[in-house]
Amino acid sequence: MSETNTVITEYLDKIGIAGLKDAINNRRYLSGCEPEIIEVKDEEHIVHTACRTCIANCGVIAHVRNGQVVKLEGDPVDPMSKGRMCGKGLSGINALYHPNRNKYPLVRVGERGGGRWKRVTWDEALDTVAGMLMEIYHKYGAEYVFGSTGGGGNPEVWSACRFCNIFGTPNWFEPGSAQCYLPRVLAAAMMYGGMDTSIADSNCLEFFDEENCPVRSLVLWGTDPSYSCTASGGRMVNELRQRGVKTVVVDPRLTPDAAKADVWLPLRPETDVALQMAWIRYILVNRLYDEEFVLHWTNLPYLVDCESRFIVHPADPKTSALVWDRKTASARVMDYPWNEDYDVELFGTHEIDGKLYKTGAQLLLERVDEYTLEKAGEICWLDPADIERAIRIYAENTPGSVCLGVATDQNINSEQSAMAANILDFLMGNVEKPGVAMQRFRISGVLKSPNYPVPVALKCLPEEQFLKRLGGREHKGLSIWYGGHAASILKAILTGEPYQPRMWIDRSGNKFGVLAEVGKWAEACEKLDYIVHMFTYPTSMTAYADVVLPCEEWLETEMVVETCNTLVARQQVVHLWETRDETVIWSNIAKRCGEMGHEMCRKSFDPEFMGEDLAYWDSMEEFFDQITPAQNMTWKEMCAKAPFEYLTKEEWKTYYVYKEPMEDGRPQGFNTPSRKLEVYCDGYIKLGRTGEPFMPYPMPPADRDYEPLPYYAEPTESPVRDDEISREFPLVMTNGRLPMFHHSTLRNIPGLRELMPVPEVWICPADAEKYGIVPGGWTWIESARGKIRAKAYVTKGIRPGCVYMERFWTPETLNTKTHGWQEMNVNVLTRSEAPFNDVVGTHVLRGFQVKVYPADGAPEGVRTEPQQFRSWLTVGRS
Amino acid sequence: MKKQYAMVVEADRCLGCHACQVACKFENDIALGTSRVHTYTMGPVGEFPKLSMYFLTVQCQQCEEPACTEVCPTGACFKSEEDGVVRIDPDSCIGCQSCLKACPFRANNFNREMRIADKCTICDQLREAGETPACVKNCPGGALHYGDILDPESEAGKLLAANEGYVYTLKDDGGNRPSGRFILKNEQWIDMLPFEFEEALREGRYDG
Repeated sequence: MSETNTVITEYLDKIGIAGLKDAINNRRYLSGCEPEIIEVKDEEHIVHTACRTCIANCGVIAHVRNGQVVKLEGDPVDPMSKGRMCGKGLSGINALYHPNRNKYPLVRVGERGGGRWKRVTWDEALDTVAGMLMEIYHKYGAEYVFGSTGGGGNPEVWSACRFCNIFGTPNWFEPGSAQCYLPRVLAAAMMYGGMDTSIADSNCLEFFDEENCPVRSLVLWGTDPSYSCTASGGRMVNELRQRGVKTVVVDPRLTPDAAKADVWLPLRPETDVALQMAWIRYILVNRLYDEEFVLHWTNLPYLVDCESRFIVHPADPKTSALVWDRKTASARVMDYPWNEDYDVELFGTHEIDGKLYKTGAQLLLERVDEYTLEKAGEICWLDPADIERAIRIYAENTPGSVCLGVATDQNINSEQSAMAANILDFLMGNVEKPGVAMQRFRISGVLKSPNYPVPVALKCLPEEQFLKRLGGREHKGLSIWYGGHAASILKAILTGEPYQPRMWIDRSGNKFGVLAEVGKWAEACEKLDYIVHMFTYPTSMTAYADVVLPCEEWLETEMVVETCNTLVARQQVVHLWETRDETVIWSNIAKRCGEMGHEMCRKSFDPEFMGEDLAYWDSMEEFFDQITPAQNMTWKEMCAKAPFEYLTKEEWKTYYVYKEPMEDGRPQGFNTPSRKLEVYCDGYIKLGRTGEPFMPYPMPPADRDYEPLPYYAEPTESPVRDDEISREFPLVMTNGRLPMFHHSTLRNIPGLRELMPVPEVWICPADAEKYGIVPGGWTWIESARGKIRAKAYVTKGIRPGCVYMERFWTPETLNTKTHGWQEMNVNVLTRSEAPFNDVVGTHVLRGFQVKVYPADGAPEGVRTEPQQFRSWLTVGRS
Repeated sequence: MKKQYAMVVEADRCLGCHACQVACKFENDIALGTSRVHTYTMGPVGEFPKLSMYFLTVQCQQCEEPACTEVCPTGACFKSEEDGVVRIDPDSCIGCQSCLKACPFRANNFNREMRIADKCTICDQLREAGETPACVKNCPGGALHYGDILDPESEAGKLLAANEGYVYTLKDDGGNRPSGRFILKNEQWIDMLPFEFEEALREGRYDG
């Protein structure tokens, strides 16, 4: 493009006549129309940054011309995406220049939900927010404020948690956590002490070296990398498949990964633990496990006191346990790691001095004993022969891994499923050897907190405040992420028990799109004195908010991204309006609270007091300059250098970390109390009783002990329960990702929304016929909690008896009485009531009962055709 | 030597993610509701749970005997001698849409804003600058390739040779002789025009 044309084009962009740009470029007779021509130097440069449309952080090259981002493309040096970029990421330009960005701080004028706002300065906005916070603080106490983040589109997750700890409220939540990833992180921490096996959370790093990775089988359990992390994990799995790696996919829905799998197990939603128990049983009974590894490196041979249910450690658990020695037919003390002269028994029951003891393996076997292939087939609605074929693929093709996805995190069996998946890899010896997911590779040292660098400053939360955490006592597993329990907070607002929260401060990817049973949250909002909402554009939350703070889009934000052996700097490519990075906004609010007399907020800016928790910052640069010295550079220097390898691939990949010798020459083992893989994990009992090892202060015990071994609970609403619910609502609902959306974001991006203008409910042909549903027809979907509409996709790709939908809300109806969340939002139907998962408090997002029936048409005001999304286009684009 | 540039699609690798469509949209400024590239879902077919499904990404097939150039009243739509790519000259296109109707593969696109026809050139502007077409560059599955299919030394030619026996072209009842190539090893090729198949399946009219 010539320089003149560029200037004309930019001029036309400014006056906003769509399409004229092409006219000028392509049609000579139009260029004679002599618009104003300004002499400017055509400047173009590129910035190496990282995407944040989802959480995969793929490397991006952003092209900037005359101050405007004009093109994005994948960065080939990124070791996970390798130069590829998905549609979601490529749409970053549209998100950045979206006409409906939140541009300035706004304060509500008139009635809540009336949609009238006044622009204020940041100073005024911060005064207002801090004033609200301090009013609640003085009138009721800090715990009456609750914070939240998540739901998509956030640069990092810990800022809300950090602020809440410093402000003194224990009530912070993220709609994911117990419903997304936390159960798996917790199980990995408790049982292994290393990385979990979630592909979509940028783990399984070993597999990204596809050329050299000896992996032979992958079990994609409730995960669809092809949709959830297409350019990174989806790309990687695809490459491995092309190289002959065998795959099993466990998913009620025929995803691309399922279609390409060697065996697809379309189980009944949320019966996963029953299936996992059958896998464990089959592997034990048929002796397919790695016996050498199981004996030496798991705690399965250790004797458990059947009365206390704890493993017997005659001395320090790190150095000794009791095993049964067949040679002497006696219980003997095993010195870590192993006594060569013992003939250690794996399965056994013994009475010693009148007390009953069993090995961990014996207890595991007894726990899974009823789960034969036939029994699992019956529970999970699968053919036992298919289950057996799947197990054989996994067990006969090591090294391999069970890569557990989010599906099992979304029902009451969440923690148990994560435990069971770990057990499978432990039994097969798929730990820390080449070609497996569970690894402890080296890290750069820049990130001190898990995954993101913002320290949570737990020490700032006083003990008496910590003990007021809603749902904290019952669901102590949440404390691995220092978080509260969303459903308990909701209940407290609605009932006033044990106390009634008064203020919600939220950084939102539309909570009304991602929380369960959102009708109740709307009710709860009416009971709150103040609601503060920060995001990049208006969401349903905006309708309930009193103050709106404008956040930066990812092309404006900054973050250190560690991806395999490479450090990437997400850099501020451009900056628009008066937006700020949320990592700074929370700090700004703390500062104002400090100035208004909040002692801890004031101290949070004192480097000496904060120490490793870092003093709060006034800018991102100030923050990063406290952490990048781990790589001997400033943030500016890192931006200039990144992306770069902080270690060579060979230095970075450290296999068999557990074999590395300690000072006394013995192998260091795993990061668990016994240094062994804790298959029988009595740590869960301890966690439930005391909060160890995650809680900074002891908390009273949960009502019921947590189980040291996985167990299966039939979902609360279930088609096999012959009850009122199952009779009225006969179909099981499940959810799952689509490649054009992330969590609750991107429904306002024309180029993505046109690919899926309205949500589809998947239903198999037989069920469609039974319930009078026609292909492509508008359909009501109703649960015990509400009803919504979607278009029917009649397909064999969903298990009979089940339906599938992805989350949806409609930005186009924000300013109507529905506020965009009531029409087609599957989370109107989900369940926020007890029972929850015992350990982590998971509520039900998948695996609940619905009925379907034909609808007359689309909900009022909902945009269904591509042309209707034109008002969301970047000005100047056609 | 005669050249024929065209897309070579490894259908086994296609993840159905539509990144190609979005990449093309931004690179070529394609109007809403239209596209130069479509990803069709070829399935699921078969008996549950033994189902087959693959994805087919279809751009202009750069036909040897393209019907679109035949019907163009102004000569705007033409097949280039030097590389076999079919192009539309925006200056002489009058927007009659004859080429869209003539194309059996629904590969031509109508630019609603400019009111002229528009089609895949395998990103002329990028290739001229020594870069890769946007869809190929970003494809997460690594399914999309392009090149001179007549040159056995080209990347495309080598890929086709390595997959002999698994190379398909779109069903060609009109004798357009499409140059686009599809490699499919792991599923059974469905010999229907992909949009006809997809519509029939979605509407419950396909009984395969």
